[in-house]
Amino acid sequence: MSTSNNFKRKSFAGQNSAAPPPSGTQIKRPKRANDDDDDDFGNDDPAFDDADLENKENAIELGHGPAYEPTNVKWSRPDIPSIDPLKEKLVFQQIDLDTYTDTDGTPNILDKSRPHAHGHNTVIRLYGVTDEGHSIMAHLHGYIPYFYASLPSETFTAADCERFKQNFHAALRSEMRGKDTIASDIVLSVELEHKSSIYGFQADSKRQQVLKICVLLPRFIATSRRILEGGFSWTGNKTQLDGYKTFETNIDFEIRLMADLNMVGCNWIEIPAGKYSIREMVTRGITHQLKIHSRCQMEVDVWAHDIISYPTEGDWQRIAPLRIMSYDIECAGRKGIFPEPEHDPVIQIASMVIRQGDKEEFIKTVFTLGTCANIAGVEVIECRTEHELLEKWSDFVREVDPDIITGYNIQNFDFSYLLARAKTLNIPTFPYLGRLKDVKTTARVTVLQSKQLGRRENKQINLEGRILFDLLLVLLREYKLRSYTLNAVSYHFLQQQKEDVQHSIITDLQNGNAQTRHRLAVYCLKDAYLPLRLLEKLMSLINYMEMARVTGVPMNYLLQRGQQIKVISQILRKCKEKNLLIPAMKINETGDDFIGATVIEPIRGYYDTPITTLDFSSLYPSIMQAHNLCYSTLITDGRMKQNLAEDEYITTPTGNCFVTAKVRRGLLPEILENLLSARKRAKQMMKEETDEFRKKVLDGRQNALKISANSVYGFTGAQVGKLPCLEISQSVTSFGREMIEKTKALVESEFTMSKGFEHDAKVIYGDTDSVMIKFGVKTLEEAMKLGRLAATTVSSSFPSPIKLEFEKCYYPYLLINKKRYAGLYFTRPDKHDKMDCKGIETVRRDNCELVSNLISTCLIKLLIERDPNGAVEYVKNVISDLLCNRIDISQLVISKELTKTDSEYSNKQPHAELAHKMRKRDPGSAPNLGDRVPYVIIPGTKNQPAYERAEDPVYVLDNNVPIDTKYYLEQQISKPLLRIFEPILGDAKAESILLHGEHTTVKTVVTSKVGGLASFITKKDKCIGCKTVLQEQGTALCSYCKEKEGDYYQKEIESLQELEEKFTRLWTECQRCQGARLEDVLCTNRDCSIFYMRRKVQKDLGDQNRLISRFNVDPLNW
Amino acid sequence: MFEARLLNGSIFAKVIEGLRELVNEATWECSSNGITLQAMDSSHVALVSLVMRSEGFETYRCDRNMSLGISLVSMSKVLKTMGKDDSLTIRVNDDSDSIIIAMESRNQDKFADYELRLMDLDSEHLGIPDTDYSCTIKMPSSEFSRICRDMSIMGDSVLVCTTKEGVKFSAKGDLGQGSIRLVQTTNIEKEEEAVIIEMKEAVALTFAVRYLSMFCKAAPLSPQVGLSLSEDTPLMCEFKIAEMGHVRFYLAPKIEDSEN
Repeated sequence: MSTSNNFKRKSFAGQNSAAPPPSGTQIKRPKRANDDDDDDFGNDDPAFDDADLENKENAIELGHGPAYEPTNVKWSRPDIPSIDPLKEKLVFQQIDLDTYTDTDGTPNILDKSRPHAHGHNTVIRLYGVTDEGHSIMAHLHGYIPYFYASLPSETFTAADCERFKQNFHAALRSEMRGKDTIASDIVLSVELEHKSSIYGFQADSKRQQVLKICVLLPRFIATSRRILEGGFSWTGNKTQLDGYKTFETNIDFEIRLMADLNMVGCNWIEIPAGKYSIREMVTRGITHQLKIHSRCQMEVDVWAHDIISYPTEGDWQRIAPLRIMSYDIECAGRKGIFPEPEHDPVIQIASMVIRQGDKEEFIKTVFTLGTCANIAGVEVIECRTEHELLEKWSDFVREVDPDIITGYNIQNFDFSYLLARAKTLNIPTFPYLGRLKDVKTTARVTVLQSKQLGRRENKQINLEGRILFDLLLVLLREYKLRSYTLNAVSYHFLQQQKEDVQHSIITDLQNGNAQTRHRLAVYCLKDAYLPLRLLEKLMSLINYMEMARVTGVPMNYLLQRGQQIKVISQILRKCKEKNLLIPAMKINETGDDFIGATVIEPIRGYYDTPITTLDFSSLYPSIMQAHNLCYSTLITDGRMKQNLAEDEYITTPTGNCFVTAKVRRGLLPEILENLLSARKRAKQMMKEETDEFRKKVLDGRQNALKISANSVYGFTGAQVGKLPCLEISQSVTSFGREMIEKTKALVESEFTMSKGFEHDAKVIYGDTDSVMIKFGVKTLEEAMKLGRLAATTVSSSFPSPIKLEFEKCYYPYLLINKKRYAGLYFTRPDKHDKMDCKGIETVRRDNCELVSNLISTCLIKLLIERDPNGAVEYVKNVISDLLCNRIDISQLVISKELTKTDSEYSNKQPHAELAHKMRKRDPGSAPNLGDRVPYVIIPGTKNQPAYERAEDPVYVLDNNVPIDTKYYLEQQISKPLLRIFEPILGDAKAESILLHGEHTTVKTVVTSKVGGLASFITKKDKCIGCKTVLQEQGTALCSYCKEKEGDYYQKEIESLQELEEKFTRLWTECQRCQGARLEDVLCTNRDCSIFYMRRKVQKDLGDQNRLISRFNVDPLNW
Repeated sequence: MFEARLLNGSIFAKVIEGLRELVNEATWECSSNGITLQAMDSSHVALVSLVMRSEGFETYRCDRNMSLGISLVSMSKVLKTMGKDDSLTIRVNDDSDSIIIAMESRNQDKFADYELRLMDLDSEHLGIPDTDYSCTIKMPSSEFSRICRDMSIMGDSVLVCTTKEGVKFSAKGDLGQGSIRLVQTTNIEKEEEAVIIEMKEAVALTFAVRYLSMFCKAAPLSPQVGLSLSEDTPLMCEFKIAEMGHVRFYLAPKIEDSEN
């Protein structure tokens, strides 16, 4: 090979003015708007014109992507060495894929032994990265879209296929109504195959024949389904229409092709030497130039079936050095208005790029509008105009060529803002941020409806070949938090605060000088930096990759789709192995509801003896395994039972029949077994892992596997899902109910005094998959021993793999109500593992923090320290502090998200009313739609509703507005507190001791600076010693206390010094957080307790100074 | 030691009843001159000021100035047990954290003693400076209570307009509007039944009816009420306590478009 292919990176220079992309090139992006979430299925009207829909989805804007010019060695990917396609194989990790229609025909540079179709072809594009960090795109040719359909009649034979094909071709073409100008055949072949439907048991001997129909383009599949289901005559005789069942027609094309090619999400792909050709290269003297599609460093063509797809085992579990870019933008908003891309400029963009596996970012840049002082370790790129800023940044993105783009809320804010801004400024080269050279990046609004997340409106940003990994959306999916601001999240996971600068201040900083802009840049960089740290800490990316590999779907699907797709993908793969087909079911909502899980009525109380808890491990999956419940084992036809022996099928408590594993092993049980054994492995690894954090990751993985296993059950029960089967789901729950009740009966009949045990065992509570038993024994050892014994006794009465396990003892145990309990969790008799609380106000978000702190401290005192008196004392102290205004205001803040505009809230809510009030005061700082509004409740007149009494905590601090302690005491604290203390102290006593004791007689009455009378009243000084009104105003002490003046003065000076010290500490803390010690603190972060403390101390300090001055002591002479 | 005795205990009960609607707990300032109290309602719109001079009590003793934090709600409950003609003694011993309320029936055949926990209220001492009002209206307390009740049917706030001829209260609401006009009484036979207006300037002010109604709870103290008004100044509503002092309520006027 003498060809020199030692190109640095492809340069599009010169090619830019080349012919526009062929008009026939249609890029098929997957329907990324979630079309398979449970709730969304009602909208999936089969009559809906799929073709139209697809065409709409395909509306991808094309243009001329700008040329790439390498500018910075540090930024661009490493040079790709010369590669000999005949001798060297290509190995890369694929991260994304899509399909397109190619009009150029199959490249004849590929192996000639296969048929070379001309005209329109479906080509799959794989995007990937090699171990060396080179970006690669592979065009996979020769994968033909197909689907299956039932035979029109018993008498249909292979000889009839040709006639079928011709008539179907005509029907399809007329259905397209000339929307496509494809000249070639659109139905490629019709064949007979022996396969049967997964739905309903069929003896192997009765395997059906089905039609396999290959079509030219994937989008014809949905149209074909419509034609066939609606009625089609294969003979051409229009009076005789047959209805067909179709198979696999409602499953995403990409999921199917991945299953066919044995690919799973993010796995490694090898293209063997001699099987591919590199584009832009001259091979064997034939100069057949194929168009370059992308900004990848190398594009290759290969036959789809020539690639080797490695299962993720052993060495192939590794991850390529993916480039992960995180960025954040700052906009200069106008006062009072949330930045609008039509008006407000983008002034800074900070970007950080890290290679997967590295410890530190290798690129840290900030693009600023105007000058900016140097920042250590960061490349500052100063731009004179905003136009230049955006242009340079988009060049930067193209040069860095990130595989994954992350950030905080970038999907719904930063990206769409930048795109809209570039449009306003008319920067034609900006919106090419994806890997495809000529595809414009756009922002489209989609509505995602799912049971897991509720209704969310999202913007879709197309970045072909790159993964948009918006951390906010990931956190919303995976974690339940009190607040989702970047700040709160970083504090929660990283214990790092960040300063929060108000929009209005940002504009002031921008309009200042290089120093103030430096300030802003540091702030902006931190916002780009934190998502990377979070990503590393939470290992979200790795967990998602694991999930993609386990379930076999591309990573993008996990971010944008619901739960069902993961199950479908697994079922599909198993079906391929077994020669089964997934029917495209018509969805009809029956509304048949079946009974859910059982809860055994709790016997409430505080148990001071060990309570043994027995759990069914993975209850629902194990039921499905034990009873071989699956689509493929369901007996749909009662007559079939006659041919089966007694032990060849079972009847479930709901009267459904399934064949046993002896006849045929179900598919779902097999999938579950795989998932559960993977989970067992992960759990095992967790036990062996010593690193605390890796442990958590493995815990996350085993949890993901558990969720996946449980979602299989959910999938069968999703009535508007892809493949609902109520026979399975109702059988599962009914088995579950039976088992809990049987367990209770067994335990209570076996472990009795009459059978030689010390006490009669009593099941005090049970829920879904666990029972709590009081054996009556005093020690943990005994309780555990009996627990293990009971677990084996009961397990033996259930079929394998159903297993009742002894997992833990609670000692002591506080059973408050159904799904509400707390206890000290013991797995070993010597030391407790943790405190376990369920359904108790320690985590709920609509409470103030005071409640959760109070409750959790009480529980610690009660359960761990076993000091009920200490707990009572503690509660009294807290209540006393509350009444005396000594509780930090951040503890009292309640927050709620403003999800609707004023008029949309049907009943008045505190946070909405407050937002309205704040807008009147200062539209600039008022909360916007989607913000969480923090508020405290202030007192009002008698019977004034609470929603009118919500107030901004900062306003409360600044104006010394009192807190409605009564509200906090009665509405917030009292109920949860009484709930946990009533079982201990007794119903009536708890209230009188905790809420009406002597500790409630000391109160501080705060005088507000605002209110109707505030401007009219005069305050009279009181004696610092005894609080009586002073005759002589402006002095410190009354005549009675005067003699102790020295003592009092000393005391007040001390408290002044204390305040000063506290203030300094808080101030430095804030300076440290903002990363600059010489500058003023600007932060107004309402999630930060330090902020409130700082504000409060600042005010107290002023008051204390005033008080001291009343002593009239000249400090200089003193 | 503090001790004060009232022959007619019901006066004290009426004072407490008059205040407890507005404030739940308050600090009583006791000095050798008598008892005073100043407190704002929780929403900081109204203020009450009470003066009970020592000479009004049958016996009165206060060794040193004292601030007593008292829950008016609890005290009201205790005083409800008192007979109509009972005499009343309140006493606080030095270094004690409770107040003793002793009741004696007129014919000395029943003695009741109650002890209430004192509260430690850390509050600021507030006052409204004496003002020269543009207009002072005196009218029977019962009439004023009635006006407040009637106006509250029509609306949340009442507009008070004074002219030389008389005073007009008017309210507007969802139902419609209504007004009550009182004409200055020309021949005064009994002062407490007359409507007397002293005016330097005409005033028109709006107030929240809900607070005026709360003030009326003190009406049993005195047959006559005095209303003093000036533009942009809080209203003062005074009930005299015979030979002892007064209860004065202050209420900030409503300003158009204001939230409160």
